[in-house]
Amino acid sequence: MSNAVEARALSKTYRHSGGTTDALSGVDLTIPTGRVYGMIGRNGAGKTTFVRIGATQLALTSGSMSVLGYDVMTETSKVRARIAAVPQESRPLYFLNVFELIYLYLTIRGTEARDARKRTEAVLAELGLADSRKRLVSHLSGGMRRRAMVAMVLASDADVLFLDEPTTGLDPIARREVWTAIRRAIRDGRTVLLTTHYLDEAEALSSRLALLDGGRVLLEGTPTEIRERVRQPFRLVVSGVLGRAELEPFGSVSTVEGGYLVFAKEAPARELAQLALSKGARVSLGPVTLEDIFLQVVGKAIDADDVPAEAAE
Amino acid sequence: MTERHRLRSVLWLAYMNGIVPMRTQPLYLLSILASPLSFLFFVTVASGGTLFLYGIAGGMLLTVLSVGTSLQTDMSHYRTDLKFQDVIVASPVEAPVYVVGIALSELIYSLPGIAVFIALGAWEAPVALVGAVTIFAVLLMVWALATALGFTLATFFADVRETFVFSSLVSLGLTVLPPVYYPISAIPASVRWLAYLSPTTYAAMLMQGAFGLQHLTFSSQVIDWAVLILSSLALLSIAALKARWRDP
Ligand SMILES: Nc1ncnc2c1ncn2[C@@H]1O[C@H](COP(=O)(O)OP(=O)(O)O)[C@@H](O)[C@H]1O
Ligand SMILES: [Mg+2]
Repeated sequence: MSNAVEARALSKTYRHSGGTTDALSGVDLTIPTGRVYGMIGRNGAGKTTFVRIGATQLALTSGSMSVLGYDVMTETSKVRARIAAVPQESRPLYFLNVFELIYLYLTIRGTEARDARKRTEAVLAELGLADSRKRLVSHLSGGMRRRAMVAMVLASDADVLFLDEPTTGLDPIARREVWTAIRRAIRDGRTVLLTTHYLDEAEALSSRLALLDGGRVLLEGTPTEIRERVRQPFRLVVSGVLGRAELEPFGSVSTVEGGYLVFAKEAPARELAQLALSKGARVSLGPVTLEDIFLQVVGKAIDADDVPAEAAE
Repeated sequence: MTERHRLRSVLWLAYMNGIVPMRTQPLYLLSILASPLSFLFFVTVASGGTLFLYGIAGGMLLTVLSVGTSLQTDMSHYRTDLKFQDVIVASPVEAPVYVVGIALSELIYSLPGIAVFIALGAWEAPVALVGAVTIFAVLLMVWALATALGFTLATFFADVRETFVFSSLVSLGLTVLPPVYYPISAIPASVRWLAYLSPTTYAAMLMQGAFGLQHLTFSSQVIDWAVLILSSLALLSIAALKARWRDP
């Protein structure tokens, strides 16, 4: 069986008045079917470019990409028959009510009216939107709107769903509601390509991940594999007593609030933990988080500097 | 998609964008009538009533032309602000289905306005069947022309504000300056050639002929139709070629 998405030496160069921007450079990725595949990276990493090429909204510059075995550039209508997308920063049509938003999306896509009604009712019930079915989209909160957009593509018969930062700008509770919706999608064997710059989100939902930066894939694999591929897979936070110079032999040290963060290999990590405890310092030891991995691999935090403040919707 | 699916998609799109908003924004319907009715009022008053029928013919044309403007505004808004067009691109719905669906929705939305002018026209000067068929055919052609123009402009502009500026210039050039609301003989002979640059001039002359306001020779009717059809086709092909469905 073919993979959900395959990219081979995929490159994209945007041409604009100021010159050109290489948004993707030689990306090779294989996204298997039936799972949530997470794509993480800072703003400008190339996530949206990748997703838009796959969703047939943007032409590629060189290399190739296929969805369910069909080439996105030459077998476009075959691809379009099997996909659905929630674009980054997309907003639902405000003059519809929640029921109409989903139902009309389905009927416009070509679903028979009776089937569309059944699918709409089912998704409304499952995502806890049944009580809001008659509410105008323009009267919904930002979180509800996103949920309604996700509900729309979930209700469709598409096999591959592209969700580009579906939770950006949402509060933690609303984010979790969208997560529930995404988990529901893969229950019936569909594939979700999810981009996010929330690492906890990627880890909570994805069975595989790709970490993009500067248009290249820096790491790829299951969350466990990614952890294992990191040079220093343990993190320690040490506060009090021990100074930077004493910590440096064990691993790479950076300053955090209230102490030092040390990334280390397993043996030095244990050693340092014992040393710290024996000297009476406070110490915590655990596996690195995706956040740490990002810091180690990219050299910057995922939300460093150039990520604009999240505007609530 | 099969032909049946295409037709169904067009109708559902038209329902979504043409009928549902009537429920949520009924006042909008009145706003469509605002400018054609005020033009009608002005030409009637200024001419002491003699140009009333010209105003009716012009009002019908303007109402159908405004379909192009609202199409343009909706399409830019859906493409750039809501990203609704991207949602549709990533689906089995093809570009022409989307465009025709939205164009039909704008036509539906303008029907109450056209109905008002038809009622006024029928009351003042009932036309024979041939005239009615001509009027219907001209309006249909202008609808295609306005749609193609609106769609082409929508793909060229990055945001809705730009299209607003441009569309008022376009409607000035298409409806106020050409003899849509008055006989072409009212334009000084030295600049009359300018009016012939606008396809709406030919549509207006056919309308005025159908209302019995002008006597059109057979050859001038042929020319009017030819220009109207060719300019619609030209604009439709520009729209088809230039339309951005997949971004480059
Ligand atoms: N339409 C465009 N024209 C020019 N440059 C673009 C365009 N879209 C994105 N870019 C640039 O391409 C790079 C990748 O952007 P994008 O794919 O949106 O990244 P992400 O989704 O990870 O934030 C960025 O440098 C961005 O500025
Ligand atoms: Mg993005």
